Amino acid sequence: MKKEFRVCTRCVMDESDEAITFDENGVCNHCRDFPQRTEGIWYPGQEGQARLARLTTSIQEQGRGKEYDCILGLSGGLDSSYLAIKLFELGFRPLVVHVDGGWNTELAVKNIEKIVSHCGWHLHTHVIDWREMRDLQLAYLKSGISNQDVPQDHAFFGSLYHFAVRNGIRHVMSGGNIATESVVPPLWHWSAMDSTNLKAIHKKFGKIPLKSYPTISFFQMYVEYPFIRKMKNIRPLNLMPYVKKEALQELQDKIGYRSYDRKHGESVFTKFFQNHWLPEKYGYDKRRIHFSSMILSGQMTRDEALAELAEPLYDPRELERDKQYVAKKLGVSDDEFAEILAAPRHSYRDFPNMERQYALMKSMQRFAAGKLKLRIKNYS
Amino acid sequence: MITIVDLDMGNVKSVLNMVRHLRHDATISRDPQELGRATALILPGVGAFDEGMTRIDESGLRESLDQAVLERSIPVLGICLGMQLMTLSSEEGQLPGLGWIKARTLKFQVSNFDRPLPIPHMGWNTISGAKPSPVLSGLDENRFYFVHSYHVQCDQPEDVLATTHYGQEFHSAFQQENIHGVQFHPEKSHQFGKRLLNNFCEAIHA
Amino acid sequence: MLEARAIPALLLQDGGLVKTVKFKDPRYIGDPINAIRIFNEKEVDELMFLDIDASAAGREPDFDLIEDIASECFMPLCYGGGVTSIAQMRRIFRSGVEKISLGSTAVENPDLITEASRIFGKQSIVVTIDVKKPRFGSVRVHTLNGRNKTGHDPCDFARRVEAYGAGEIVINNIDRDGVMQGYDIELMTRITKAVAIPVIALGGCGNLQHMAEVVMEAHVQAAAAGSMFVFFGPLNGVLINYPEYSELRKYF
Repeated sequence: MKKEFRVCTRCVMDESDEAITFDENGVCNHCRDFPQRTEGIWYPGQEGQARLARLTTSIQEQGRGKEYDCILGLSGGLDSSYLAIKLFELGFRPLVVHVDGGWNTELAVKNIEKIVSHCGWHLHTHVIDWREMRDLQLAYLKSGISNQDVPQDHAFFGSLYHFAVRNGIRHVMSGGNIATESVVPPLWHWSAMDSTNLKAIHKKFGKIPLKSYPTISFFQMYVEYPFIRKMKNIRPLNLMPYVKKEALQELQDKIGYRSYDRKHGESVFTKFFQNHWLPEKYGYDKRRIHFSSMILSGQMTRDEALAELAEPLYDPRELERDKQYVAKKLGVSDDEFAEILAAPRHSYRDFPNMERQYALMKSMQRFAAGKLKLRIKNYS
Repeated sequence: MITIVDLDMGNVKSVLNMVRHLRHDATISRDPQELGRATALILPGVGAFDEGMTRIDESGLRESLDQAVLERSIPVLGICLGMQLMTLSSEEGQLPGLGWIKARTLKFQVSNFDRPLPIPHMGWNTISGAKPSPVLSGLDENRFYFVHSYHVQCDQPEDVLATTHYGQEFHSAFQQENIHGVQFHPEKSHQFGKRLLNNFCEAIHA
Repeated sequence: MLEARAIPALLLQDGGLVKTVKFKDPRYIGDPINAIRIFNEKEVDELMFLDIDASAAGREPDFDLIEDIASECFMPLCYGGGVTSIAQMRRIFRSGVEKISLGSTAVENPDLITEASRIFGKQSIVVTIDVKKPRFGSVRVHTLNGRNKTGHDPCDFARRVEAYGAGEIVINNIDRDGVMQGYDIELMTRITKAVAIPVIALGGCGNLQHMAEVVMEAHVQAAAAGSMFVFFGPLNGVLINYPEYSELRKYF
């Protein structure tokens, strides 16, 4: 029987987040830190509008005469799709980049098609070599670390940033946002951008060399690209009201967007990983961080969240189908796959990583922000 | 348990894939004893008529098939050649058919404005229901994948379940009590095939 | 009434999907299994899947991959590449494939067409004829990814494979492969007049209008295309697409 976890009295985070702390009213650290965490980044109201207008003018002016004024990474998921429509309405001319990691669903490709057609933009697709992707994903599964989305996420941002820099497009538009993803339990997953960790895990469990897989180094990511190449990662959704339900409705009305049954229906693997692997193996239910974020941004009540959490994560038939598909896709038999899924749990710390460098960078950022009143936050 | 009869002629695997996708229990078999225990049969088949009849006779399946369908009266669905084998005879071959239904299999001879239509009749076509049946429920709008050079002609109009037009009207599905046959391939007809196979599988439990 | 089919034709090389231009410069477009899963959900009329390495390398078909692919297809699937024997064909049909396409084998060993058609039924035996027009002279049949000239006239050869027992013919125009400027209507018309079995046009399709032209004017039973269904927009971004059924029916 599962241990009864204490749940925050304000959001729905619980002790499955091993680092959670509660105050005397039973309110968790995620709720308490929220104002501080979002200060200077999140402007869902009037001020956001003004900031977005200034940002728009500035980026579009810099892009004048060029074919594209920014790059937009588009997965077909709600965040990037909604961002696309907003950028279109603001008059941006992005080069749309889609990174195909081999797990696209029909819904995802159809949504991408609808958005790109509606906006009349150009689409560039970076197709990750599937054999390398598969090898890396199998390596991650065998490593037993909690964040199995790293191979997809790293490839996505790696390709996007390399592509932007190579093509001299400085502004990268990202669908990342506070409204639906501000709650991040530190122990649930480590940064997907740590290529040292990625390479170490692949070295131990991988079978073929990663020749074309787009890794991005710590130096490129945090020094060369932002400071030398002046690439900027921009999150416009933080400068506007972003309410999931309304955004979905708007997309449906405007372009006939088709909604996913659940978050991350754009990738079969992510769905399987987040709705089955993670809760089964680690007891992590990612809906908690998603719903808690939405409670904190005022678009969901705690009762609504609790009611949705009571729903099963997976329809058993669908799970069985997806499981077989994931095994087939990864090129392993159902038995082999069961064995791989049963790999012992490991922390990312069991493999070489850049945690010290990240810590140093964070303290430098804090120092700069505190003493020098600078905000060095090219990547948040 | 639905048993898909394996004559080693064509696509039993596709039928199994779709039935399993629909979450019904099914197995592929050519074992007379297993057929004796089946609660429903699917008889798929692609290929020549005589080849099919020869395989049924030589594999020793004839008796258990007849018994299951005619004596135990379990639901049976013939697909493509499987449907044709259920008839009395075929212009494609010399051997008599299973004769479960009063119908014959004839050669297509069709033309359209004097231009002979290509044979086989291959591709997507629609069916029109000729009588109400649970197997066709929800399929007013439909399209199915066909590929055949011979077609079935029922002797008794009341056995005709659906018709299709290709140069001429022909009987694309029949049904007489527990005996069903379809000329098209539901296992390769997307949502429409899923609907039809699911109707058949669910009718078994009803 | 029977509808003309719109068929995505996918090329396999070294385990990955590629798209060529005039049979050259293969561009990697991803993993076959996921692509086929997406095409299945788009409810395509039919799918052609051609291993362009197998025959040229004298290699057997990748049976495991074929089985994985077939299990994702709730529509007719045609496989081609490296098939030289009845035993191989039996194995491929058993894994859930409807049709097998013979290319160079049809030239080298046409008796296999007859034998296969007798055993498996002629509707399941397709012959793919690659054609190319030299700078001087008329269109001729080629094999082994266009490298081998056979000297056969496409119409004569089409009639011949029909007589051997082929159930369907694919005419693949090498000069137009990946160019997306339209089919060779004149050639396709000659072929459909020459044979009574269904003909599939391949090579040159860039949009649905091209498909409508070859269906209406050349009377082919199906129009196949590669680039159009895997690329999107002026930059040819890889994005699997296929028209909605209602959209398709506006054209033919």
